[in-house]
Amino acid sequence: MIKAKQLKAKSYKSSQRTSLTISYIILTILVIVWLYPILWILLNSLRTEYNTGGQLIGIVVSHYFPKQIGFENFRILFAETLFPRWFLNTLFVSSISFIISTMLTLSVAYVMSKLKFKVRKSFLNIAIILGLFPGFMSMIAIYYILKAFQLTQTLWALILVYSAGAGLGFYIAKGFFDIIPNSLLESAKLDGATNSQSFRKIILPLSKPIIIYTALLAFIGPWMDFIFARVIIGEANTDTYTVAVGLYYMMYGEQIDSNVFTIFAAGCIIVAIPIVTLFLSMQKYYVEGVTAGSVK
Amino acid sequence: MNNNQDTYKKRNILSRFFSIFIYFGKSIYNKFKKFINRFKDGSIGTKLSHIFMGAGNIYHKQYIKGVIFFIIEAGFLALMILSPQVNSTPLGFKSIANFFTLGTEPGSIFLPTDNSMLMLLFGVICFGIIGMFIAVYGSSIKSSYKADLDVKAGKEATSFKEDIQALLDDRFHVAMLTPAIIGIITFTVLPTIFMIFIAFTNFDSLHPAGQVLFDWVGFDNFFAIFNGTGEISVRFGPVLGWTLVWAFFATSTNYIGGIFLALLINKKGIKLKKIWRTIFVLTIALPQFISLLAMRSILAEYGPINSMLINLHLIDDPIKFLATADSAWTARITIIFINIWIGVPYTMLMTSGILMNVPKDLYEAAQIDGATNRQAFRYITVPFILFVTAPFLITSFIGNITSFNVIYLLTGGGPTVPGYIAGETDLLVTWLYKLTIDQSEYNIGSVIAIMTFIITATATLLSYRRSKSYKEEDAFQ
Amino acid sequence: MKKFMLIAVLGLAVLFGAIGCGSNAPLTIWVGAESVEFYSAKMIEYVEDYNAANEKEFPYEVTVVGVDSSTSAATFLDDTDAGADIFTVPHDNLGKLIAGSSAIAPVMSDSLLNQIENDNPQSFLDVIKGSVDGTQYTFGIPYVAQSLVLYYNTAYVTDEQAETWEGIWEAAITADKYALTLTATDGFNNSFLLLSTEADTHNTSLKLYEGGVQEECYALGDDTIAKLKWGQSFFMDANGAKAPSDSGWEVELSDDISLSTIGGAWHYEAAKSALGDNLGITTLPTFTLTEDSVYGTAVAGTVYKSGTFADTKMFVMKKNSDKADYLEDILLYLSSKGVQEESFEEAANLPAYKNASTEFSAFEEDTLDAKLATAQVEMFAWGLPQPFGYNSKFNTYYYSKGTPDLLLEIIENESGDFSTNQAIIDQLTIIESLWKTGLRPE
Repeated sequence: MIKAKQLKAKSYKSSQRTSLTISYIILTILVIVWLYPILWILLNSLRTEYNTGGQLIGIVVSHYFPKQIGFENFRILFAETLFPRWFLNTLFVSSISFIISTMLTLSVAYVMSKLKFKVRKSFLNIAIILGLFPGFMSMIAIYYILKAFQLTQTLWALILVYSAGAGLGFYIAKGFFDIIPNSLLESAKLDGATNSQSFRKIILPLSKPIIIYTALLAFIGPWMDFIFARVIIGEANTDTYTVAVGLYYMMYGEQIDSNVFTIFAAGCIIVAIPIVTLFLSMQKYYVEGVTAGSVK
Repeated sequence: MNNNQDTYKKRNILSRFFSIFIYFGKSIYNKFKKFINRFKDGSIGTKLSHIFMGAGNIYHKQYIKGVIFFIIEAGFLALMILSPQVNSTPLGFKSIANFFTLGTEPGSIFLPTDNSMLMLLFGVICFGIIGMFIAVYGSSIKSSYKADLDVKAGKEATSFKEDIQALLDDRFHVAMLTPAIIGIITFTVLPTIFMIFIAFTNFDSLHPAGQVLFDWVGFDNFFAIFNGTGEISVRFGPVLGWTLVWAFFATSTNYIGGIFLALLINKKGIKLKKIWRTIFVLTIALPQFISLLAMRSILAEYGPINSMLINLHLIDDPIKFLATADSAWTARITIIFINIWIGVPYTMLMTSGILMNVPKDLYEAAQIDGATNRQAFRYITVPFILFVTAPFLITSFIGNITSFNVIYLLTGGGPTVPGYIAGETDLLVTWLYKLTIDQSEYNIGSVIAIMTFIITATATLLSYRRSKSYKEEDAFQ
Repeated sequence: MKKFMLIAVLGLAVLFGAIGCGSNAPLTIWVGAESVEFYSAKMIEYVEDYNAANEKEFPYEVTVVGVDSSTSAATFLDDTDAGADIFTVPHDNLGKLIAGSSAIAPVMSDSLLNQIENDNPQSFLDVIKGSVDGTQYTFGIPYVAQSLVLYYNTAYVTDEQAETWEGIWEAAITADKYALTLTATDGFNNSFLLLSTEADTHNTSLKLYEGGVQEECYALGDDTIAKLKWGQSFFMDANGAKAPSDSGWEVELSDDISLSTIGGAWHYEAAKSALGDNLGITTLPTFTLTEDSVYGTAVAGTVYKSGTFADTKMFVMKKNSDKADYLEDILLYLSSKGVQEESFEEAANLPAYKNASTEFSAFEEDTLDAKLATAQVEMFAWGLPQPFGYNSKFNTYYYSKGTPDLLLEIIENESGDFSTNQAIIDQLTIIESLWKTGLRPE
């Protein structure tokens, strides 16, 4: 009897062990699949192969592992292209627009979640509907509206566009605020706190995850957007490109010299470093934010 | 019985439809009545406010408020009368006439042509400004009337300081929403209205703005979907069909894959959970124009994957996975798989978060009832996840209908359908992009945008009406 | 709600009110991204010369910006007001730019008109003019020429073999490679068969908007059908020609998957990178009609020379520019023979100047650069300047209505649907209709 029980426990244990082993195998395979393309970009940025003519081979090649590695591509990227300028431009745009957008998003979300007023529901409905229109057509309109403000083709125009859209992106944050119990606010109100004070002193300190989540997304946006930025900056203003626009033109121009792929890859790595670092260090908050906000 | 229900439903919809009109009619009538009453009952200041905004406030010694109102009126009138020009197109009263004519000067080699596109846009902006001005005009009179009432009641009219304090408390939503609404009206609402109007014009590649005048054409562009042998009538059906198929598979594969991955990583006994998770999160953090380009090159005919398969003697000739694929479905299936690579980490993160939040007491109760781990998983964990993430499915379905990057960067819509712009893997949005940005067929593009909108809006409305959060909000009524 | 409307209006009114206080914008010139430095230096020289000759300061600051010249016209038209005063475009974009009342200014000064007439070959003079409101004007100032040439791998293909497609094909069969990879399948890069002409007489029955007339298109000639049938044999063979893969033609050249490609000057750096010392450059090869590919009056043994679009890149001027008084004089200088020669030597821009190959010494050097230039110049004899400048429709109809794909469908014949003459003729009928009207035949 006892023996049987031991046996059962043993077989249970061993079956658990096999199941763990299988899980590890699956995970490893998946990790390889997931890292394969990312590693490919990294290897390409380091590839410094020369052809028989002594020229740096900058085109795409079919082999995965480079035959020679070095930092020549990075040197060219920083010394011979406008990349450093683009990098600073993007940093400028995203630093300012993430502050404005975060404030906008959070304040709208708070108001929509915790305050009751007349136009609240219609605003909610309109916001849902507006977000659904494909934006490409309105890009031309936005361009000329910015032009009326005398802002077109400047970095400030980009900041304005990125920040202005933030008012509609309040859903996740609203979901987060919805979870904070109203009783907290009610008792504060009894103590004589104004709505603005409750927002600053009660809601915000409780909302670190969602603040970081919102700020993170707003900060990353300008690094990734190559569609809007292209229209607003205009192709001829190479000085005001963001990294996404600059790298896009490097690879997708029509009559372009395609011997620059490895340099493009080097640019990608430089762009990815800050974003990935930020993302990974803030991962915990990101998860909390996205979980709390999006599954309500 | 069924029949009865149907007619009941129909009647219900019809009556709702009319009740909207009745509601609007009533509210306009009420507003007008109030307007008249205020003029009749108001003090001399309020009466003056009907002509000089802010006069009533100044009459009640609310100087700052009064001056602000007056400046707005002056600014508005100055803008309308002076009609400043942007790209030689006026913005002001003139733009209202221009909105209807869309330009009259055809131009010549030495004379500029009226820019119909800007005239349409500025017309829309002008109507927007007038609309907002009317709202402010109303509120200036209201504000003065309120001061009248305060004085009548023996109180003092509110001071500027008090107004500001109200903005931080009772009217906090006003202070907070104002900047957001300015942004939304300027950069979303007005451009969207402009875009809708384009669908009713002949603004296309043969009518470039500023070189050739274009004009209103009514519903012609919409009829083009159903008639003729043009691009839009031939390709609309197939593109729409694939868009829906894509949205369905992209959503479901990511959802199932994400939950699977989350369960795998969070499994009891798996070590270094955080590191596993971090590796997958890399794909979210990497800009898509980088990761998708990498994917495209890796899967190319002479790329690393094909060379590896050939070296392993699994295949003899390279497989064409993407834009040059022999069959549309090869490319489509590849795209859906790559989309798993892109999207699964996101669902995984979310599900991981939820897994940590499964109420502990559920498990405890189950344990007391003698449930095994497996049973607890089967009857508690899974239903909990499904229950909590259901709304997410809807949002991501809609997101996938309008997903642009994956298709545009991987195949550019290819494999091509000879003779047409929309390729085998083009979604409505990428087709729209090609038509407008590459081909300058703005009117057709706008029609497609409206169609896309109708589809996504229907899906959204249907789902939100059923969702829990909607019912809690009980909005839309 | 109304309070924030209030502030909204205030903000809008103030901002819109700020319109119209523009500053003194610099005189802007857009050139191809590859030669920004060269033209910047030239403009500094120009301003210095101007100051010295006129004893006063040149009234504007000058900015030279690099753009992708194939999209510069579109960029300009997106916002003409913000566009450059002078910019570079390939000549086939002329139609787009002068549509309706035109977005660019015609050349009016006699000195510049004379220089254009004297310095350029007739084929360029035909394509830089356009009609607005029934009057013909000269709009473009040619300064760079470009045509397609053959890049091939000298490790497999001898110089002699590279003269004919059959030769390259033979080398490909020996090495078991592909003979040719196209750089792209668009109507520019896959046009070598369509535009080919009889090697002896330069004859072809193909008509593409001849004389700038929309209806003057003809694709159904016996020789066209025969050429496409020959193309079928070339493209359907396992060692023949192919459309580019997802990997791109560069990879196919560098990995010895195919032995040659047809490319322009903008493919030069990538081709060099792919092949290193093994890069050979020459004019596009000829091909000889076989018994299997004859049709109608086209007889076996006829030799055809592959064709190309022979383009000129030209400067154009913004219409109603506030600096209009200064532009033509600048262009007189930038398109002058002297500057073209320097541009060739320093920025490898092939001159548009008609006697460049005999008068410019750099042509005689034994470098790859000179080979590229010589091959391009020779191809001009076989090239057709893109006839799309007269009307913006032509460009759209030729490139954007899907005809390049329809043509490729015939040549590749993957489905086997185009094995009969009738199927080819039917498809060509659709193509011709698309060229003429932008629509398929009813």
